[in-house]
Amino acid sequence: MTLAAAAGLSHTQGFLSPTGVEIAFLLVGLVTFGAAVVTVTTRQLVHAALWLVVALGGLAVEYLLLTAEFIAWVQVLIYVGSVVVLLLFGLMLTKAPIGRSPDADSGNRWAALAVAVASAAALVWVVVDAFRTTWIDLDGRAAGSTEVTGEALFQNWVLPFEALSVLLLAALVGAIVLSRKAKATPTSAASADATPTGPTPGNGTTTRTPTGAATPSRGTSDGPSPAPGGRSSASDGRSSASNGQPSPQEGAR
Amino acid sequence: MNDALDVALRLLVVFVVFLAFPLIVGQTEHKVMAHMQGRLGPMYAGGFHGWAQLVADGVKFAQKEDVVPAGADRRIFQLAPAVALLPYLLVLLAIPIGPGEGAVGQAVDAGIFFVLAVMGVGVLGSLMAGWASANKFSLLGGLRTAAQLLAYELPMLLAAASVAMAAGTVSLPGIVDAFQWWWLPWQIVGAIVFFVAGLAELQRPPFDMPVADSEIIFGAYTEYTGLRFALFLLAEYAGIVVLCGLTTVLFLGGWHGPWGADGLGWVWTLLKTAILAFVVIWLRVTYPRLREDQLQKLSWTLLVPLALAQIALTGVVKVVIQ
Amino acid sequence: MSRPLSDHHTSPTSAERSRRPIPGSGLAKGLAVTLRTMMKKTVTEQYPEVQPDLPPRTRGVIGLFEENCTVCMLCARECPDWCIYIDSHKETVPPAAPGGRERSRNVLDRFAIDFSLCMYCGICIEVCPFDALFWSPEFEYAETDIRDLTHERDKLREWMWTVPAPPALDPGAEEPKEIAAARKAAEKLAAQQETAAAQPVAPSPPSATSPTGTEPHADEQARAAERPTRPMGGSQQQTDQPRQEDRE
Repeated sequence: MTLAAAAGLSHTQGFLSPTGVEIAFLLVGLVTFGAAVVTVTTRQLVHAALWLVVALGGLAVEYLLLTAEFIAWVQVLIYVGSVVVLLLFGLMLTKAPIGRSPDADSGNRWAALAVAVASAAALVWVVVDAFRTTWIDLDGRAAGSTEVTGEALFQNWVLPFEALSVLLLAALVGAIVLSRKAKATPTSAASADATPTGPTPGNGTTTRTPTGAATPSRGTSDGPSPAPGGRSSASDGRSSASNGQPSPQEGAR
Repeated sequence: MNDALDVALRLLVVFVVFLAFPLIVGQTEHKVMAHMQGRLGPMYAGGFHGWAQLVADGVKFAQKEDVVPAGADRRIFQLAPAVALLPYLLVLLAIPIGPGEGAVGQAVDAGIFFVLAVMGVGVLGSLMAGWASANKFSLLGGLRTAAQLLAYELPMLLAAASVAMAAGTVSLPGIVDAFQWWWLPWQIVGAIVFFVAGLAELQRPPFDMPVADSEIIFGAYTEYTGLRFALFLLAEYAGIVVLCGLTTVLFLGGWHGPWGADGLGWVWTLLKTAILAFVVIWLRVTYPRLREDQLQKLSWTLLVPLALAQIALTGVVKVVIQ
Repeated sequence: MSRPLSDHHTSPTSAERSRRPIPGSGLAKGLAVTLRTMMKKTVTEQYPEVQPDLPPRTRGVIGLFEENCTVCMLCARECPDWCIYIDSHKETVPPAAPGGRERSRNVLDRFAIDFSLCMYCGICIEVCPFDALFWSPEFEYAETDIRDLTHERDKLREWMWTVPAPPALDPGAEEPKEIAAARKAAEKLAAQQETAAAQPVAPSPPSATSPTGTEPHADEQARAAERPTRPMGGSQQQTDQPRQEDRE
């Protein structure tokens, strides 16, 4: 969609000068692409997450260049502000080694590449086909402004929108149900909110619930004063406790 | 040429505000906190009641050696302060202090979204710092930061959404334009939720679990010295300015006031912002730090339901008055 | 924000619930406390600029009034950490009256207190039978070398002039012994004078020369309260009079 819209933009008239927007769009696109490639090729886990921030931010800038301001900020808000933070949170909670992790590569490199290329081709083809003859009128209101988006969303597309809402709600409820079931086991979901700090001495988390009683024991096994082995051992100990935790919150997002 | 000059001037003004206001807030914090504890606070630097204390602090920070721990991830460690600080500068661009085009750095169409989105990015700085320091306390601080952000971003967004519903626009000047005095009681719950959640997102006491100095030293900033550390501190105080300015604009009517609506609106904005900044300091002095579970409980069981109730109330009133 | 966050009272009884305070009142109270403190005067002392207002019995440093010292060595012997150094020699004094016996007396050569050892217990001052040692509120005698903290008699004598007058007695306190003795003497004198006025003039007894003795029947206690100066009648404490001029 972005490419097609950009083509449409540049052939009529841009809001700066056509060449200016084109050049900026291309450069930002290159940066975004590069960041995306580094995201999947880097051997350092946290670096991958941070490169993802760059890629998503670059995408937001592309939206901005296409006058889709609302989408751009939502992109930053949801993806950069929340999803990546969640991702980093999960990484740090489980395993966040500084330096290369040799086991970060799953070995399905070629399959993944094939899937990526196929889906990208499908998306590009669909978008190009859909917008081939569409011309954007830039003299009127900006097509991506909040007002226009809101009107389109709540007048023409309200049913799909609501269906999506129901879907997300279902996912939310499902996540809660799953995490409650997990509560019977030591990895209590109630502690997902309360124990990101797990082994801190004396923070007294969740001792009031009977299910949470497993938390302090975990804390002591980890050691209130962590071993000089440092963070990797501490976070390893934590990983067993909270593997499944990001998922309910991801659903909440 | 005129346009370029205009843009440059606006950027310059915003930049000066960005550098000056946090210092003013910081100095006020020094003094107010001291007096609330029966002390005098800084009295030497600058001669008159220690007004230049923060300038002196800055000079001291600049002189310090910039240390990067041996095991740290150098690049990310060094980049983190900038990531923490810059978003607040961007947000400051979008906050209107008076009516009209002249009183805002850059009018943004989807102002609320812009502001909240960019503020959320700032937390990445703390996360990066916490991870890259190769220090278990820093890592814990980073984790707590992330958990806190996840918990408090939601009520903050919901409260802001309530006000956007009331005004029928997501642009910040538009919201202030639509403001009526009776919005204050109408949106008071949303205002409190927004302010508290904002405090938590800034990791200000009593929500300073991520930097709880008595247990994890200084959280994600433990390994930082010199200018980079100062940048983190500056980010915190810039965050106070931004939060207070936003609360003023969204909930307290910005430049609206009983007198001096013409031309003096910016005084009202600054006054309300200053009062809110005082409240931030006041809360810091008064309350002890929340424990991590209390912190999460407050958000999920109190602030989120309150914000949802506020949205419902806003919707009902909005339908009724139409 | 408007709710107590602790969940210690998960199941309050009905009685507890009935007199539970308004939610958030504790938070408001906390805010009130800090605000009130902010309005109050601060307690910070700006010491180098403003001298502290020390109470009269401050144990700052020990001053020596040499004239009263008889080199009895009690202070040096009682000192728990042995920080007082005293040297002396004996001198013979020619007889006061011709034909009398020569007297020998101790002459102080050195009197030093090592304030790096002194623990300010005040025992030396307590035991001194002749009131030669006093507490002075002077406290600014820090040195950069620990050895310089041993102060000799000239320095101790300088500090003597900073010793304040003792505080006045309480209005209801017992009359000091010296004043009581002087008053009795004065009363006796007055009675004698009365009888002498009735009879031919008699020489006045030499003992009643003190100024207190010249005021018969004054309310001694009230006067003691009014005047912060020490009682004078025949008291040993007269010996620290010289510093009266130097004192503020």
